[in-house]
Amino acid sequence: MKLLEIKNIKKSFSNKNVLNGIDLEIESGEISSVFGYSGEGKSTVLKIISGILKQDCGDILLNGKNINNLESYERHTALVMDEPLLFPNMNVLENISFGLKLSSNKKRCVKRLTGSKRMLNSPKEIIELLGITGLEKRYPAEISMGQAQRVSLARSLIINPEIILMDEPFSNLDIISKIKVRQLIKDINQELKISILLVTHDIEDVVNLSDKMFILNDGKIQDSGHPKEVLKKPSSIDTAFLLGTENILDGVIFEIDRDNNLIKVRIKVRNEKIEKGVIIEADFQGNFEIGEQVFLAIRPEEIIILREDRQASKPVRENRFTGKIISSIFTSRMMEITVKSEDNLEFKVLIPFHAYEVMNLFEGKTVNVSLKKSSIHLIKKKKYLGHNSDYNRYYKL
Amino acid sequence: MFLNKNKVFDLLVYFISFLFFIALVILLSGIFFKTSIYLFIKELKNAGLWDSIFLSFKLSFLVVIINLIIGIPIAYILSFKKSKISFLLDLISTFPLTTSPLVIGFAVLITMGSLNPIGKFLIERGIKFVFTPKGIVLVQLIITFPFFVNIVKTSFDSINRKMLDLSKTLGASSFDLLFNLIVPLSYNGIIAGLAMSWSRSIGEYAATQMVSGVIPGITETAPIEVFVKTSYGNYPAAITIACILMVISLFSLGIFKYFSYRTKTTVY
Repeated sequence: MKLLEIKNIKKSFSNKNVLNGIDLEIESGEISSVFGYSGEGKSTVLKIISGILKQDCGDILLNGKNINNLESYERHTALVMDEPLLFPNMNVLENISFGLKLSSNKKRCVKRLTGSKRMLNSPKEIIELLGITGLEKRYPAEISMGQAQRVSLARSLIINPEIILMDEPFSNLDIISKIKVRQLIKDINQELKISILLVTHDIEDVVNLSDKMFILNDGKIQDSGHPKEVLKKPSSIDTAFLLGTENILDGVIFEIDRDNNLIKVRIKVRNEKIEKGVIIEADFQGNFEIGEQVFLAIRPEEIIILREDRQASKPVRENRFTGKIISSIFTSRMMEITVKSEDNLEFKVLIPFHAYEVMNLFEGKTVNVSLKKSSIHLIKKKKYLGHNSDYNRYYKL
Repeated sequence: MFLNKNKVFDLLVYFISFLFFIALVILLSGIFFKTSIYLFIKELKNAGLWDSIFLSFKLSFLVVIINLIIGIPIAYILSFKKSKISFLLDLISTFPLTTSPLVIGFAVLITMGSLNPIGKFLIERGIKFVFTPKGIVLVQLIITFPFFVNIVKTSFDSINRKMLDLSKTLGASSFDLLFNLIVPLSYNGIIAGLAMSWSRSIGEYAATQMVSGVIPGITETAPIEVFVKTSYGNYPAAITIACILMVISLFSLGIFKYFSYRTKTTVY
């Protein structure tokens, strides 16, 4: 069932357009997330849904009912922000029970008790669920950031909101609290079937938590769907960049073989004409024509570095390149390697640290890499059509 | 070096401050040397003297209560409803601070007089401001509310706006916000503002004088009594009242300072 529908929301601040027609649909009981660069107006979307800001135009429907003219306190869309923002004059228990003494919630809680969702009505239950037992008498200044963020969550859960809107809820947490709170949100969603809309600039949060993601870019929703799908198959080059798909190659469709589930792309090699480009094979993807300009995207973790000591299995023999490791950077979890092929193509590869050790890799070493056909995603180059003077020449290929 | 530049700086700063401080104390305490303990105590037993002090207390208490009722809404608009109108309101609510109290008293005297249409309209209905305690409350209100409003506004300004926005989404209406969050978080500021406006009200002379008509026992407040007694040449009585007024303002200033320090040290 559709819980929240947003139709063509526009908003500008002092003549700067922030949102140019946002459309969102959120299902009941799901975790959805809005992902985008900082300053793209993600928080503005939440503020508009919760009624703190008024949109310039467009409609917001909650359970099929237009809530444009409702005040914040009548909407029951609880906001959780990046800071816990606990009330400093109340202790933890009073903070959590804040919503219960407000008249707008008293009327409603009774009304919704018959609903099928499991309801949490006593602060004690919520405190237990969120694992903050023992803190009831403490004041906000006396608890840690992670605990405070849980209290903040508890404070919004107690009013049984239609949806919880989370604005970068993890951005101020250390890595351990972050993982804990993330798990907590997952558990709460499963236990209470409460709908959550999360706004974040961290792709980890999106992939970890959400059932559906929306990519906000340039004031519009550019892509939406299950995070895994969107991540693997971004629909535009902007989205691909935003999602950290670092290997994006320029190419032209060379051959389409539907029967063998194959599509061949000629890749432009640096400083060379396209005719001399290398050919990369990918699984068949619809809606492409021969001669069409495309971007070829492959995520860095999908590229395989072949082991010298083992016989390569069939899929890893596809699209093979020989190249030199020109840099290897140790990031917190993975090794980020750049391989420059003999054809002057550069690939970013992410591999686990232990693999890097076992394979005895180092800068300057020559390795074989393989791009699996199934992990290659083609993106239409629509935007650049006609603007590119070389286009016609490409087309004649 | 024994005396480096910073030490010289400190010495200078302390020297100038203390010099002025000592001069001020000598100047103000000078009035004590004009009388004797015997005369002072004799005057303290004078019932007429306490009449004026009690009258001042009574009127300033009323002024403070009215300040509380009108001051919080004004401070709320100034702090939370920022717009073009609030600039105008800010200007108006600070204006009495910079105007001569005498002028304010004079304006009320003229407006509320029987020759003015407004005054005439009110007097015909039995509401008389000139030469009555009501008039004193009115002028003192005009003079003291800027103190209250500005102190409370500063206190409101320090409340986290994001926190208030968040509590709206939890179901809090504007009433809930005011009574559950804004006022409780501004107790220190409100008390400091009340102390300041009370202190200002009890010591007010010029504007009060204009509308009071100096009727003993009815409109003769303590500061007016000081002036009246001085003009009769009754120095011991004037000194006694002046001393009491000084103690009162020192006391209320103490309250103000205590609570305004607390506002600043409590981080919200």
